[in-house]
Amino acid sequence: MSDSQAPVFSNPLREGLLSRALPAPCSLVIFGATGDLTHRKLVPALYNLNADGNLPPALSVVGFARRDKTDEQFRTELLDAAQKFSRQKINTELWDGFASRIAYHRSAFDDIEGYHALARRLDEMDKTQGTRGNRLFYLAAGPDQFETILNNLRESGLNVAPEGGWARVIVEKPFGTDLPSAVALNTLVENAFPERDTYRIDHYLGKETAQNIMVLRFANAIFEHLWNSRYVDHVQITASEPLGVEGRAGYYDKSGAMRDMVQNHLLQLLCLTAMEPPTDLSADAIRDEKVKVLRSLRKIGSDEVAKYTVRAQYSAGNVNGKRVAAYRDEENIPPESETETYVALEIHVENWRWSGVPFYMRVGKRLPKAATEIALHFKGAPPILFNQSGDATQALDDNVLVIRIQPDEGVSLRMSAKLPGTSLRIEPVKMDFHYGTSFGRPTPEAYERLLLDAMAGDATLFARRDEVEEAWKFVDAIRAGWESRNDKLAFYSAGTWGPSEADALIERTGAAWRRL
Amino acid sequence: MSTSAFPEISPGLPVEIGRIDKELGKLWETSDDTKTRASLINLVIYTESAAQVAANTELISRIASHHACRAILIFANPSAAEANASAWISAHCHNAGKGARQICSEQITFQLDGDTASAVPNVVFSHLDSDLPLCFWWQGDLPSAPDENLWSWVDRLIFDSQTWSDPAVQFARVCEISHLSRSRTILCDLNWTRLLTARFALANVFDHAAALPALRDVKKLTIRHTKQARTTAILLAGWLAAQLGWALESVLGRHAFRDKRNAEVGFDLIEADGACISVVEILSASATITLRRESNAEFFHASIRPAAGPDVTQMLPAGRDSLREHLLMELSRGGVHPLYAKALDLIRPVFSHD
Repeated sequence: MSDSQAPVFSNPLREGLLSRALPAPCSLVIFGATGDLTHRKLVPALYNLNADGNLPPALSVVGFARRDKTDEQFRTELLDAAQKFSRQKINTELWDGFASRIAYHRSAFDDIEGYHALARRLDEMDKTQGTRGNRLFYLAAGPDQFETILNNLRESGLNVAPEGGWARVIVEKPFGTDLPSAVALNTLVENAFPERDTYRIDHYLGKETAQNIMVLRFANAIFEHLWNSRYVDHVQITASEPLGVEGRAGYYDKSGAMRDMVQNHLLQLLCLTAMEPPTDLSADAIRDEKVKVLRSLRKIGSDEVAKYTVRAQYSAGNVNGKRVAAYRDEENIPPESETETYVALEIHVENWRWSGVPFYMRVGKRLPKAATEIALHFKGAPPILFNQSGDATQALDDNVLVIRIQPDEGVSLRMSAKLPGTSLRIEPVKMDFHYGTSFGRPTPEAYERLLLDAMAGDATLFARRDEVEEAWKFVDAIRAGWESRNDKLAFYSAGTWGPSEADALIERTGAAWRRL
Repeated sequence: MSTSAFPEISPGLPVEIGRIDKELGKLWETSDDTKTRASLINLVIYTESAAQVAANTELISRIASHHACRAILIFANPSAAEANASAWISAHCHNAGKGARQICSEQITFQLDGDTASAVPNVVFSHLDSDLPLCFWWQGDLPSAPDENLWSWVDRLIFDSQTWSDPAVQFARVCEISHLSRSRTILCDLNWTRLLTARFALANVFDHAAALPALRDVKKLTIRHTKQARTTAILLAGWLAAQLGWALESVLGRHAFRDKRNAEVGFDLIEADGACISVVEILSASATITLRRESNAEFFHASIRPAAGPDVTQMLPAGRDSLREHLLMELSRGGVHPLYAKALDLIRPVFSHD
């Protein structure tokens, strides 16, 4: 067992109280401490963890940023943010105790002296605050700053923890913009931190329902037998949102839906849906299985992109009763932009389990509603007894198992039932499980879970290097195909379910997109 | 059907016991489409106090908004002269999210007078929501002659040892019931649940490097508690002792512990007003650790005063000290309670000497 994995505690009072790894005392250093992510997500998450008594007893939070401000000014800003974005009401006394552990470290990212000063400060905190030489560096700055920060962490020796401690890094997406840049970024990270100490955040994996996919599949014996090409006709993975670019124009126009959503979130959902049972619940056992799925994806080359992919952009339309502009008319978007805001894909997982089963994926902005879900469409009953062609009264809808990731998290199963009456009419009915209805309590934000896991050294819900690179290989092949063919973008009106080309893509095999 | 013994509330729609399922069905047939019936568990509450029926109904209503259930509330009045059984049905609905959709839980209320009070197993068995776990909350003292038929069906037996007048006798009955169910029934003492936040807080405090060494050489354990919470305090001491490998030593009604090195660990229970458990103090050569809670405070204040080095203070969640919170916590956490059995085994002799 490596130092970073060795148990720090042997506190006998912990026995039986927790069913997860315990977060260790540490200093959390946030690069980009004055940014949106820190204010909206990280600090509210830390406050909530503190209010629930889940933070380690000795935790220091150090904000690292360029702007000149005092500890007190920084804390006041964070309090404002926590009041706005925390899921729990702020208790003043509790906040004061929490805030006393927050410090501001002013330095430019490219100033090595700032890192040396940080090292001295962290050493001092180890002595006075019991953080035991454990350091967690959170790269919440823009990706263009990663190289500078990582190089300086290495240069200053901060990437190596004092004896008995650990040094870990959390990297926010995007993990590169294509395979070469991802490899370069991963190499850069690897030069400073070993893979076991690198935590790549995909916040989708921190969502309860994403975590529940494995429970649903492997804790319920009834599903696993049906979870294969013998019974599944096709799978649909959808991530739709009514929002436009919302102030992220600069980033989004360079990225597009493929890189922003498919490469990470949606392929992760596909992996969880398609993977084999892991040998155990350790981070590497699970990630090994996910990588196998990514390696099994049939690459879509340039001669196939027209058949298996659709890329589109929204034009003007109506969303939630309001007129909205076309993508090209959004602020800071070039009027001739070719960036896709919608992607539909037909993907094939070429292994024994899934041979011949298409996985349809669609993701888009300015669609009618926000919904992320995975739907397994099962093969129809044989045309004996019921389901005979030409007899509309006995036509059966296929069984569909839907895993709703957000919103209204839950699971539903569509099946057929006899309509009451003297004649034989069959109608689809739905068995529905809603997290909110059954458990009726707010689930923690994804960032809460992920921060705790990183402090505890549990990388299960974080992406591993090979996962990221395999996903890029798949995505890059499609993007290269798009570029080489110089295909024209399709367009769809904002507020509709995407272009007609996407309907044609799925209808080719006799299926249809789910009505959400 | 007769009038209820609890006029301060309306227990719902009076129904014949044999028609309860049909009447519940009608209740949903006639409701509008915005209401959805939901159920995760069968929650049976048994009481022999008519005054508790209103409080229990209120409690079920609040529990149901977090934990959908079929609630069966039984008021048994075995001393009534006339044998009579009556039933009422009702529903507790709450809004789900922002829309008009409502999630509803059913409640069936029974009044069992005279001899019919012995019909509890049948009343329970015939009205369970099938395939769902059975959580049975027995309020007050447990029966002297446990019914094997009943207990072998119960998945979670809920009780509150804080309310018992003679804990030694009652804990013996708990053990008997556990034996009758071949240990399949999970014992859920709300008094143990009441301690959950204190146990979390203590565990959290001892995660601190300045506190952890103190667990190796504890000299004295002091717990301040209200008069009502004596059993609570004893259970807490039992948990600490069991986790730290201490043995109980009782001489002439005075209790102390011996640690793993056979050194004596003093043990003081002090009655005081305030929170149920207001102070836990653990004194050792290397540090003094104190956990304090003001009356009704939602946080503990913990302090570590090491023999060398600066003091450390911390605030830790204490939750709300209400029966509803404890029951919700118990239902939400699930699982077995092996530490409870371990702590109880060790500390039970203290109850005998009380």
